[in-house]
Amino acid sequence: MRMYMANESDDAKEVKVDYTRLRIPFGPVHPALKEPISLRVTVRKEEILDVDIRLGHVHRGIEALAENRNLVQALYLVERICGICPHSHTTCFTQAIEEIGGIKPSERALYLRTLIFELERIHSHLLILGLIGYDIGFETLFMFCWHVREDVLDLFEEITGNRVHHAMNTIGGVRWDLPPHLIEKVNASLKKIEKSAKYINNVFQDKTVEERLCEVGVLSYNEAQELCIVGPTARGSGVSMDVRRDYPYAAYKELKDRFSVVLRDGADAYARTAVRISELFESINLICTILDELPNGSISMEESVLKLMREIPEGETVSMVEAPRGELLHFVKTNGKEGLRRLKVRTPTLANILGLKPMLIGGEIADIPVTLASIDPCIGCANRITVVDEDQEEVRVIGLETLRRRGRKR
Amino acid sequence: MNTIVALLATFPIVFFLSLLFEGIDRKIHARMQKRIGPPIIQPFYDFIKLFNKERIIPVTAASGIFTAVPIIAAAVSILGAAIPVVNLITGTSIVGDLILVLYLLAMSSVMVMIGGSSSGNPYGAIGFSRKMTMIIAYEIPMLISIASLSFNPCSSLAYYDVVATQIRMKSLLAFTRFSMAVAAATFLLCIPAAADAVPFDISEAKTEIIHGSLIEYGGPYLALIKLAKAASNFALAFLAATLFFYVPALFEGYVSLGLGGALCLCLVTALIFMLLTITVPRTIFARLKIGQAFKFYWLIPLTLSMLSVALSIVGL
Repeated sequence: MRMYMANESDDAKEVKVDYTRLRIPFGPVHPALKEPISLRVTVRKEEILDVDIRLGHVHRGIEALAENRNLVQALYLVERICGICPHSHTTCFTQAIEEIGGIKPSERALYLRTLIFELERIHSHLLILGLIGYDIGFETLFMFCWHVREDVLDLFEEITGNRVHHAMNTIGGVRWDLPPHLIEKVNASLKKIEKSAKYINNVFQDKTVEERLCEVGVLSYNEAQELCIVGPTARGSGVSMDVRRDYPYAAYKELKDRFSVVLRDGADAYARTAVRISELFESINLICTILDELPNGSISMEESVLKLMREIPEGETVSMVEAPRGELLHFVKTNGKEGLRRLKVRTPTLANILGLKPMLIGGEIADIPVTLASIDPCIGCANRITVVDEDQEEVRVIGLETLRRRGRKR
Repeated sequence: MNTIVALLATFPIVFFLSLLFEGIDRKIHARMQKRIGPPIIQPFYDFIKLFNKERIIPVTAASGIFTAVPIIAAAVSILGAAIPVVNLITGTSIVGDLILVLYLLAMSSVMVMIGGSSSGNPYGAIGFSRKMTMIIAYEIPMLISIASLSFNPCSSLAYYDVVATQIRMKSLLAFTRFSMAVAAATFLLCIPAAADAVPFDISEAKTEIIHGSLIEYGGPYLALIKLAKAASNFALAFLAATLFFYVPALFEGYVSLGLGGALCLCLVTALIFMLLTITVPRTIFARLKIGQAFKFYWLIPLTLSMLSVALSIVGL
């Protein structure tokens, strides 16, 4: 009979000393988590007394890696930051490069970017709605949402050739055009998705779902503003912010009046869910508008991407987009020699994760997964900052070479 | 002596039937979710697979209790499921065996709970406290609903007496008297909680406390606990189907039906009840919180069970 060592001895000690306070490790490995994040939760019976959030389990060194690549290679690398909102990252990155290089993509290219952007929003929201269902033990809702999401993924495949990493953006435009027969297909699929979204909306009105989501993970308007919460999480607390409206990019300048920013003031998990469901319909309407008003023209620059890349001068800029999870920010500094001097990515999850503490304290253990899911965390996106050495209690940046060396050892 | 031999002979049958029921449950659950689902004999594969895995005992666990618990749980719940089946086949029973069966089934839940708390994992401890609360919530209405059988002039707490009454009256017990209909409703309402099915799977909520008591179990121990759960689910469905809705009693020539026919009818009824009380709720509901579940059980099933006792005493 083999035995294994108890993983964290300090946790075991605390259990022995104080029976009323129990520190439970929520993650980094937990069935409710799709990505590793560690919450050290102190509980008394079912009530949460304290939460300690630890990130850094999926640090991949993408920012450092990007600095060793040329701009086009970095574009593909940036796409790999996230598997759910890759288009947001590439749009953000290409916008920055285009701004530095003074490149103006055609209207049609901008519209197509926006189209994929909104499709991505639908797919991301469906994904998290399903996961919220799963976290409250509603497996059928999870299966249904992900079933609907398949339609969106199929559309991605039809349009760009890829289901997940679309590789749609390129410097100066997009890589794939939308022929007329695809427009019809997208329209037909959207009708189907809208019907399913209405059904999902109905299911979320179900009483057992409401009981699990209402008054759970409350984040007041003031707290949301103080902590700079972004995206649907902020809009669920009544903070009216949306990069698409406030700092329009791509085709959103022209489409400004064609969508509204969904606001809810419930400030709980239910409000955040409701914002996402309403945004599904907003996105569907927006895509229909885009399909109707798609301008003619070429989709990319005449020169090849490599030629464009060589002409990008030295410069720096900040680019923002409204990713499905909220405001996504790229700081890009080029070195004028085809490469990057610095890339800094601030993902929405990094902003939103700060809101977890006020949301969780005072709640129940049963609320942890659904509260976590309600901010739609993308841990892989957020872990690109520093490596925290817990043993020596110091924070240091581990370079790419070290990471590589360690990677080889294993 | 014969009864003991019959009981032992029934063990493999119960083993087979309970895993088969679980397979059907999983398949239909999957079909309702637009999934293809596992093959119906998947639970057998799982059982064999788990039995061939290594046995892991955490260093923090009280290893004696930790390893004994799955064996006891599997034994008592199979025994609990075998007693009604044997009684139905042999047509005999002893007074009070219904109480014995219910306690054997409760015992298996308690055993799993203890195993979880002996594992030294904090999630096991939370699972323990949640299961404790749930047991208090559902066991009381369940026991009262069974006890109300004895307040009836024509039935008793002996399992076969209740079945014999239904054969004599050529009717289902739940339809003969209003009080029995209420008792049947209570019993059926308690099954999802006893079976740890959504919306009452709070004590082993996968996404909240990582299966609670089961968290440290793996390999053969997990196989035994899974078997214990399957057997107790089967027993509960079988009890509901025979105590309150003994369908073979409806047939004119009861004798011509034969023992096999009667048993098959009972199994089909049991399957239907299992689908209604376990599969359907776990497909269409979200998991409740412990407070909400407790409130539900003490508001509705407890009131209903009291009502059934009161009505039985009045003679309705």
